Amino acid sequence: MIKTSELDPNFKYEIANEPGGENIKRCFNCTGCTVGCPVTEIDKGYNPRKILRKALLGMRNEVLTDESLWLCASCYLCYERCPQDVKITEVMGAIRAIAQREAKAGKIKLANPKPLFDNLFIDSVKSNGKWYEAGVSGMFMLKTKGIGGVIGYAPMGMELFRKGKLSILPHKIKGTDQIKRIFEEVEK
Amino acid sequence: MKLAYYPGCTLHGTAREYDASTKAVSKTAGIELTEIEDWNCCGALEAIFDKELSMGLSARNNMLAQKTGLDLVIPCSICSHNLSRADKAMKTDEVFRGKIEKALGNKYKNNGFKIKHLLDVMVNDVGIDSLSQKFKKSLKGIKAVPYYGCLLVRPSEVSKFDNPENPQSLDNLIKATGAECLPFTQKTKCCGGNLLMSKQDYAFILTKKLFDEAKAAGANCMVVACPMCHMLLDGQQSMVEKAHNTVINMPVLYFTQLIGLAMGLGDKELELDKNMVSPKQLLESIGKETKEEKKVEKPETKAGAEPEKEVAK
Ligand code: SF4
Ligand code: SF4
Repeated sequence: MIKTSELDPNFKYEIANEPGGENIKRCFNCTGCTVGCPVTEIDKGYNPRKILRKALLGMRNEVLTDESLWLCASCYLCYERCPQDVKITEVMGAIRAIAQREAKAGKIKLANPKPLFDNLFIDSVKSNGKWYEAGVSGMFMLKTKGIGGVIGYAPMGMELFRKGKLSILPHKIKGTDQIKRIFEEVEK
Repeated sequence: MKLAYYPGCTLHGTAREYDASTKAVSKTAGIELTEIEDWNCCGALEAIFDKELSMGLSARNNMLAQKTGLDLVIPCSICSHNLSRADKAMKTDEVFRGKIEKALGNKYKNNGFKIKHLLDVMVNDVGIDSLSQKFKKSLKGIKAVPYYGCLLVRPSEVSKFDNPENPQSLDNLIKATGAECLPFTQKTKCCGGNLLMSKQDYAFILTKKLFDEAKAAGANCMVVACPMCHMLLDGQQSMVEKAHNTVINMPVLYFTQLIGLAMGLGDKELELDKNMVSPKQLLESIGKETKEEKKVEKPETKAGAEPEKEVAK
């Protein structure tokens, strides 16, 4: 049930202000995005049109804490096909960014492990200029599945290492100071 | 042809066979690659929605490429998307360009600088006809399905070289090698790559769907042009088998490995031993089509008598 008193009429503007979220208000609710979505095909409960509709209505808390937000496979099919050029894949990303900020500020809890992985990944790029696969994957496993997860992943890791596909240490580029400045500039 | 080269993180790691086969095939095709100096990660799919960060990181690489005075070629569909999207923003969005130029203390060149996916370069710049002239051996016996995945052809406002709904470049390339290219309705369906960390069981269902159809089409291999697709389809294939208690055992070749084989390049040069699913049997099937067909086809018609029934009707 929708409680009008709990709706946040500013939510759509908040999303539209986020890079990638600009076109959300163009959606005319045609369902084109949902038809053909590969995730909807395997999970009828996943409905990108509905996420957008709720966001436009201002169901802020419900949208930000909805596990669905993390089920988009970012395949860009809906982005390609939307008659209104909503750029749903990126709108979904914009909503994710807001959800992550709210979680960082302690206002909501995110159950999905994806943001943790993304953040570990981005941190490794921030310090090295390249992503540090062994370190990020190891830390992610440890944080989500405990030491058992790391051990479970070990055979695959060993196989990759044996094939010369995984390096134990991170590779650092020379221009890490430039990378830091990019982070600073876009975070302003 | 001279091009600047951005391998991206995976080609120096889990996708090293894509890097090796790209270099080998380019050399034979007469392309001189200059790897750009001190390149950084484009942010991949992990930063793709931190849009300004992703485009900022990517723009640094574009600026390094511009120093070479050459156009830029990228074998990874994700990197290619990210760097192309950043190029567009740097050329059209003044505020964003200002931020990044300030961070890097350098000006972005708004000239004819082009960024292309390697498949685009091979099919449209080198051209299938001149590539075919370098082919020494027919790959008859390989029955491939072309798999394009997502970012190679979508969104078409960024990737413009092929049809986003029914792309043909990989199809045509496969056919040119003498291999059979089978119809594949899943060619642009998502492999689930980006769900691997958020919902692994869904990722594996999506991956398995691709293999199910590839098998139904009669394929003995899949051909891809992206390290992320390859990571799922080849790297995680054993995990998908485990999760679904099934046997897939289908080699997944980079398109560079496929054309390298047609060029007569060695297994070592193409690093065919680095694929997680061994292509050994597949390689043995090259040129042995007639024998294999005799062996396989008889029992198949007996077991699935469908086609005969249809004829009888
Ligand atoms: S396809 Fe576009 S316009 Fe139609 S419902 Fe989806 S987002 Fe809205
Ligand atoms: S981008 Fe996300 S919502 Fe859109 S079709 Fe792909 S999985 Fe579905």
